[in-house]
Amino acid sequence: MSVTLRIILIISSILSFVLCVRKIKKSELKIENSIIWLLGSMLLILMSIFSKAVTWISTQLGFEAPVNFVWMCAIGFLLIELFLDNIRISNLNEKIKNLNHYIALKENEEKKGNE
Amino acid sequence: MKVLIIIPAYNEELNIVKTVEDVKTNTKYDYVIINDGSKDKTKEICEKNHFNLVSLPINYGLTSAVQVGMKYALRNNYEIAIQFDGDGQHQAKELSKLVKEIENGEDIAIGSRFVTESKPRSIRMLGSNLITGIIRLTTNKTIKDPTSGMRAYNQDTIEELVSNSGLSPEPDTLVYMLKNKKKIKEVQVEMKEREFGESYLKPLKAMKYMISMFCSILFIRSFTKKK
Repeated sequence: MSVTLRIILIISSILSFVLCVRKIKKSELKIENSIIWLLGSMLLILMSIFSKAVTWISTQLGFEAPVNFVWMCAIGFLLIELFLDNIRISNLNEKIKNLNHYIALKENEEKKGNE
Repeated sequence: MKVLIIIPAYNEELNIVKTVEDVKTNTKYDYVIINDGSKDKTKEICEKNHFNLVSLPINYGLTSAVQVGMKYALRNNYEIAIQFDGDGQHQAKELSKLVKEIENGEDIAIGSRFVTESKPRSIRMLGSNLITGIIRLTTNKTIKDPTSGMRAYNQDTIEELVSNSGLSPEPDTLVYMLKNKKKIKEVQVEMKEREFGESYLKPLKAMKYMISMFCSILFIRSFTKKK
């Protein structure tokens, strides 16, 4: 792995780590949801420190360049996160819908009680 | 049997009074209007006229509107629930035909335009024909007017629609019901062209609608059985 790539990886992982911690402090991000990002940035740091290991794994797996292996890991991680987010959004949608129904039915009942 | 007419309405200030008056004068059934977070005066008009209104604070689409109507039906022990569009296309005098079919033991009765009449040739009807074809392919049953919004459900299917929120009042749900051995019957009814306002299904959305119906019927509903 080239030195430039290692530096980019280290800088970006440190930045994402700091961002996560700051957001948690301001309580804009829940700890449960942030752990995955902290782990992700730690993985990036590990990859840039032990670049020899990454190079070895990527040649064993038949990648033409180690950088491709790094991108693949990142894309795989993002796809999984995106899919999990989709499930979370669906769940939230369902909850809001039920709340919406509850409010409307309650209002209707109250109005009937008044009449 | 106790019958509830569910009238979903989204921005129907021009049609709603006429629709409800039609229901009140031409049937002896109860009704409920579901205002799906309309941006116009639908809610105010209903309140002013003292109509039975369930008003959703947020617009959530037709599926949710019909579903809350079904919840209302269950809470108030109705045995039959009929979906009846609030846009003036449906005519209340036809509803007793649907009720009769449910009383005769059908699970779902559809008010269809094309049981005895033939379909006109248009792009809309081409879409309708495609859906009919794909329903026949997956279930071996023929539903001539699968997109009709006038449907009557018995208590079993009402419960199903409430508990399974993935079921929309669309043709793919009919496939699901047929796969779960529900009896569906079509009844010839007369419908009018809509007079005012915009339809839920705008022409631009039609394409998206067709694709999602195809995917849903072919890949999901043909395999999903009740747990």
